[in-house]
Amino acid sequence: MKFEWFVASRYLRSRRKQSFISLISIISIGGVALGVATVILAIAVLNGVEHGLKERFLANEAHVVLMLHGSEFFGGASERIGQIEALDEVVAASPVVYSQVAVFPEHSKRIQDVIHIKGIEPAKEEAVTGFTQFVVGSVDFQDSPLIAEAEQLSDNTITGGIVLGVRLADRLGIVKGDILRLVVELQEHPINPDTFIPDLSNFVVIGLYESELAVYDNSFGFIHIEAAQKLYNKANRINAIFVRLIDAELAPQAATRIEKAVEFSVLEGFPMTRTWMEVHAPLFAALRLEKTLTVVIEALIILVAAFNIASTLIMTVMEKTRDVGTLRTLGSSRGSVMGIFMIQGSVIGLLGTLLGTGLGLTLCWLLSSNSVRPSPWWAFIVAVPVLCQVLIALRRMAPHPNGLKTALVLFWVAAFGFGLYCLVKPISLAELGLSQIYQMNQLPIKVNWFFVGFINALSFLICWLATLYPAWQAANLNPVEALQHE
Amino acid sequence: MTNSREALIRIEDLHKSYYDGEAELPVLQGVDLTVQPSEMLAIVGASGVGKSTLLHIIGALDRPTGGNVFYDEQDIFDLPDKELARFRNERIGFVFQFHHLLPEFTALENVAMSAIIAKQWGGDNNPALQQGTASIIDARAHELLAYVGLSGRLTHYPSQLSGGERQRVAIARALMNHPKVILADEPTGNLDQRSSEAVLELLWHLNAQSGQTCIIVTHNQALAERADRIVHLVDGKISEVTQ
Repeated sequence: MKFEWFVASRYLRSRRKQSFISLISIISIGGVALGVATVILAIAVLNGVEHGLKERFLANEAHVVLMLHGSEFFGGASERIGQIEALDEVVAASPVVYSQVAVFPEHSKRIQDVIHIKGIEPAKEEAVTGFTQFVVGSVDFQDSPLIAEAEQLSDNTITGGIVLGVRLADRLGIVKGDILRLVVELQEHPINPDTFIPDLSNFVVIGLYESELAVYDNSFGFIHIEAAQKLYNKANRINAIFVRLIDAELAPQAATRIEKAVEFSVLEGFPMTRTWMEVHAPLFAALRLEKTLTVVIEALIILVAAFNIASTLIMTVMEKTRDVGTLRTLGSSRGSVMGIFMIQGSVIGLLGTLLGTGLGLTLCWLLSSNSVRPSPWWAFIVAVPVLCQVLIALRRMAPHPNGLKTALVLFWVAAFGFGLYCLVKPISLAELGLSQIYQMNQLPIKVNWFFVGFINALSFLICWLATLYPAWQAANLNPVEALQHE
Repeated sequence: MTNSREALIRIEDLHKSYYDGEAELPVLQGVDLTVQPSEMLAIVGASGVGKSTLLHIIGALDRPTGGNVFYDEQDIFDLPDKELARFRNERIGFVFQFHHLLPEFTALENVAMSAIIAKQWGGDNNPALQQGTASIIDARAHELLAYVGLSGRLTHYPSQLSGGERQRVAIARALMNHPKVILADEPTGNLDQRSSEAVLELLWHLNAQSGQTCIIVTHNQALAERADRIVHLVDGKISEVTQ
C-alpha cells in the first residue's frame, strides 16, 4: 500500500481508539451527504414540475401555430394545410378559427366571462392535439342528442354544440345539456343609434374538457369550425393553422420552414408562427432561473460542508502535529505529508458525496413510488432501539471483531432504509389543495442523471479544494517545532 | 585532531541563531567537530546550551544559520529539502527523549514506517529494501523487534506498552533502514532506572556488535563516561573533548 494511503486511512478510522470511525469524520461525511442529497432532491422536483408541465402542454397544444398578423382570416385552408403536411417533420396540421368571446348562461342577463373559443374540425384536431382524450362527454358538435333535447326545451335557435373547460363550466354554474350564450360582436340599434345590441349565438354544452392544465380547463371552449365561421360570417375562411411535429423539440426550425412553405399574397397579410416554446417561454424561463438559484444555494450548502471538512482537517493537523514531526524525521517529504491530509479530506468528501447521492436518489424513488407503506409508527418502533444501539456501539466498538462491525453497520443502514420507506411517501398536491395552482395532483419527481453526475463532480471538487490549505499547513510544519509540540 | 579523511561526519564552524522578531538569539556559535565511523560520542552540557539544536542539525532536521556539515565529504545542506528528507530516511536513525511513536499504529507498523517511506524514495541506497516488498519490510521489522526483546508485542499499540518498551520500539524503528548514524536525544531521560539500563544496554550492544555510529545527547554523567568521547558544550561552543 502506498505510504500516504496507509497513514491517511488509519487516521480516518481511529481518532480515539475505541471509536469505529472517528466521530468528527462521520459528522463531516454527514454534512457533505446532506448537501448532496438535498440538491439532488430539489432539482429532481423542479425537473419533475418542468417535465410534467411540458408533457401536459404538448398533449394539449399544437407544436407550431401559423397565423397572419392581426389574426386576419384567410382562405385556401386545405391547400395550405397540404403544403404544410408535405414537410418531413410535420405529422398533421389542422384548420382553426380562434377568437375570444363574452359568454353568459341562458338564464343570466349579465356577461359572466370572456373565454377563448377554438373552432375546430374534430378529426383534424384529433391528429394535432389528441383533443378527445380530455373530453368527458360527446364531441359530436352537430348531432349530439343533447342538442336536440335543448332545442325542444328552449325557444332559442341553437347554433351548435360546445365543449367547455370543466372549471369554466363550474364557475358559470352550468352542466352538460345547458345552453351557453356567446356574444361575438355588438350591432348598432336600428332605432336608437347610440345604443348597441349584442349579436348572440346559443350553444349547447355537449362535453367538458378536463386536461388538468389550468389554462384550458379555466378559460377554453371548443366548437365546430363551421359554427365558428358562421359566427363571424367567414365561410370557408380560417385564421390559424395548428401543426403537430414528429418531435416537439424541432419546433423553432420547423416554424421557419412552415413560414416559407406556405405562400400568402401581400393583400392577405404577413404570416407569422408561434412555437409552443415561445408561448410558454416566461414559464420555462422562470423554472430555469429557479433551478439555477437552487443549484447556487445548494452549492453553498456543500461549500459549508466543505468548510466543515477543512476545519476537521485543521483540527486533525493540530492534533497530529507531533506525528507530522515524527514522519518528517523518519524522512517523509513535505509532499507526502500534504498527500496524507489531502487523501483524508478527499475520502471524507468522496464518501459524503456517494452517500448523499444514494440518499438523494432513494428519497426521489420513495417520493415517486406509490406502493403501500407500513404505518409510520413502524419507523419509530425500529428507530428508537437502533438509535440507542448506535450510540452505545459508537462508544465501545473496539472489542468487536471486524465482521460484526460490518454486520452492525449493514443492519443500521437497513433499519434506516426501512424507516425512510415507512415515512417518505409521494406528496399529494391534491390533498394539500395545491393541485389547481401547480396543475398536478402529486409532487412530480424526475431525476436528471447528467445533473447527478455534475453535482457529484462539483461536490468532490469543492471538498478536494477544501483539503488544500490544511494539508499545505501540515506540509510546512517545521519538523523540530512539530516534535516539541504539546 | 583525528584524520579528517576517515571522518564520517565533519562539522565546520556551525552557527545557529533563532530570531524573535528583530532580536537574534544565538544558540550555536562556531562548533567544529569530527565523528569517526563506529564511534560512540556523547554530547553533554547544561540545559539550553544547544545540545539538541546541534543534534537536530547533524540529523538534517534543521538548517544551520552558518557553517557546514559534511557526511562522507558531502555538504548535506547543499541538498534541497526533498533530498534532505531522503537523506534522513536513508542515513539517520533518531531516538528521542519522548518515544514519538505514532499512536494509531502497532509496534510492528511503527518500526516498519521508515521502510515504507523508503519505498517512495526507491530505496536504492538500502540493500535490504532494494526490492522494497512488503514481506522483506515485515521480516526486517520482526527481526528488529525480536532484537530489542519485544517479539511478544508486535501488534500492541504504543498506549498498550510501558515507557521502556516504547523506547525500545523507537530504537528498533531507528535501525530499520540500516542508518549510518543513530542520533539519540536524552534517550533515557524519561525512563526509570531499570528501563534506562535496558535501553542503554541496547545502544552499547549495537555499537559494540555492529559498529553502529551513535551520537548521544545526555545530562547523565555516568552514561557519558561510557562513551568513546565526550563533547562538552558551553555557550554554544565546544569547550573540551574528553577521550
